[in-house]
Amino acid sequence: MSLNNLILLTGRTINQGVALEGGKNTKENVRAAGICTFDKEDFKKLDCIAGTPVKVTTDYGEVLVYSTITEEGPHPGIIFIPMGPWGNQVVNPDTQGCGTPTFKGMKAKVEVVKDGRVLDAIELIGKLKEA
Amino acid sequence: MSQKKIITHHDVLCPFCGTLCDDLEVDVADNEVVEMRNSCQIGTKKFFSSNPSGHRYLKPQIKEKGSFRDATWDEALDKAADILLKAKRPLLYGFSSTECEAQNVGVELAEYLRAILDNTASVCHGPSLLAIQDVGAPLSTLGEYKNRADLVIFWGSNPVHAHPRHLSRYSDYVRGYFRKDGRNDRFIVVVDPRKTHTAQIADLYIQVKPNEDYELLNAIRAVLRGVELDAKEVSGVPMEEIKKLVEILKKCHFGVIFFGMGLTQSVSHHRNVDTAICLTRELNDHTKFLLTPMRGHYNVAGANQVFTWTTGYAYSIDFSRGYGRYNPGEFSSVDLLMKDEVDATLIVASDPASNFPAGAVRNMFKHPIIAIEPHHTPTSVYADVILPPAFAGIECEGTAYRMDKVPLRLRKVKEAPEECLPDREILERLLEKVKEKEGK
Repeated sequence: MSLNNLILLTGRTINQGVALEGGKNTKENVRAAGICTFDKEDFKKLDCIAGTPVKVTTDYGEVLVYSTITEEGPHPGIIFIPMGPWGNQVVNPDTQGCGTPTFKGMKAKVEVVKDGRVLDAIELIGKLKEA
Repeated sequence: MSQKKIITHHDVLCPFCGTLCDDLEVDVADNEVVEMRNSCQIGTKKFFSSNPSGHRYLKPQIKEKGSFRDATWDEALDKAADILLKAKRPLLYGFSSTECEAQNVGVELAEYLRAILDNTASVCHGPSLLAIQDVGAPLSTLGEYKNRADLVIFWGSNPVHAHPRHLSRYSDYVRGYFRKDGRNDRFIVVVDPRKTHTAQIADLYIQVKPNEDYELLNAIRAVLRGVELDAKEVSGVPMEEIKKLVEILKKCHFGVIFFGMGLTQSVSHHRNVDTAICLTRELNDHTKFLLTPMRGHYNVAGANQVFTWTTGYAYSIDFSRGYGRYNPGEFSSVDLLMKDEVDATLIVASDPASNFPAGAVRNMFKHPIIAIEPHHTPTSVYADVILPPAFAGIECEGTAYRMDKVPLRLRKVKEAPEECLPDREILERLLEKVKEKEGK
């Protein structure tokens, strides 16, 4: 299943903050920041169970992350990825001349990839080194 | 079995977020943090992460044939100096999670190398600095808000997650001199596209559409001036709700807007903050109103202060002509990296590989990287030289500026392990090495 016309936001979560202080190469970091949170009603349309990998695609890239239902909703039409390596694969690098990329408000689409493997931070960023 | 002697340190500052809590109690035994009191989840984890672990660098490292090997300080500094001196457009980036004394040496090094100098404000509150330069800002210290504010607005900011003790120390639950009943004496408003955990404990939540904060702020300004807008809603917020909010704003005794990345990292960036400042200024025709940016890193405000008093500019500074030039958008790290202008990077206390957009990281990785970084991070793992630092505020002293620009002294509670040195000393030795190689 897939969903189109979503808006992607990124930002701090306390779990992501704790995980980054505990080691960025850990599974804890993947569980904290390699995720995409959905509005409850939007998630039903995906027809999968929470934790199923999903591919998030924007005009700026794509990334595979674990799906989850938001505790900070309702926010229909909005998805959220915590700040960090996963979110930054799909954010808008345009700074509008002020130096700060547009980390929030990208148009996004999501598709379920049931057998997908979510990379850890080092593997994910390593792909940029290889590229 | 002998009991380890526990030493308790009181009134320790937390080197994590801009709230810079100064009431932590840290128990240390055998040079390891064993217990924390008063700190939030993230602060606690930061102190514990200074203990020996598999992901901490204890000796300088040099990458050879794709893998790291231990090196002496002299070897590692020699290699780092070579990289910086060979580069035509080196970038010195980070600085927000270290002490002011180290930042000061970083400025000197950047000027000597004719490098680009930037701090993490570049990707967070840089737009706030631009807006403040444009229109000024009615700011205050956090103590004033704690003691006086009866209306607190969090706009595009989620302190429950990003500044976990802000609410209990300054803005919500805390008892103030004129707010003796704490939470009951304050009206909390949250404006955010998501009903965040902060919004869930607010008295009024306003759900703004993503990227439309600018329109909503201006609609509030218009209604405040008595303009009747020909619209049923603005940015997804019904006009009735906007009018209700304006009445609440006008009636308070002392209001404050704490704003975060929701304004600076959305479309319009500094113009959003510019308008929020103008709204705050205009509210002072009716009552007392101030605002304050919710700074992220514990000493990003200090980086802006130190850079400003030494170069005249807060971030995004280009020394290529031998003197500092300032132009965010041109000399800011992400813009430079997206254009692939940078040919070597020195990272101080930061992890841009995790926090920059992918395109910028891809270009950064094409060129040598030197990382002054205590832990394995996506930046340090792909760096060429690692210079292992002591944790500022845990393993060495220094000065840090709270989000309201109040300077506080960081404490040392334990010794740095093995060969780790304070950031300041690493940068001083690197500067010395660079000068030595140039025969100066």
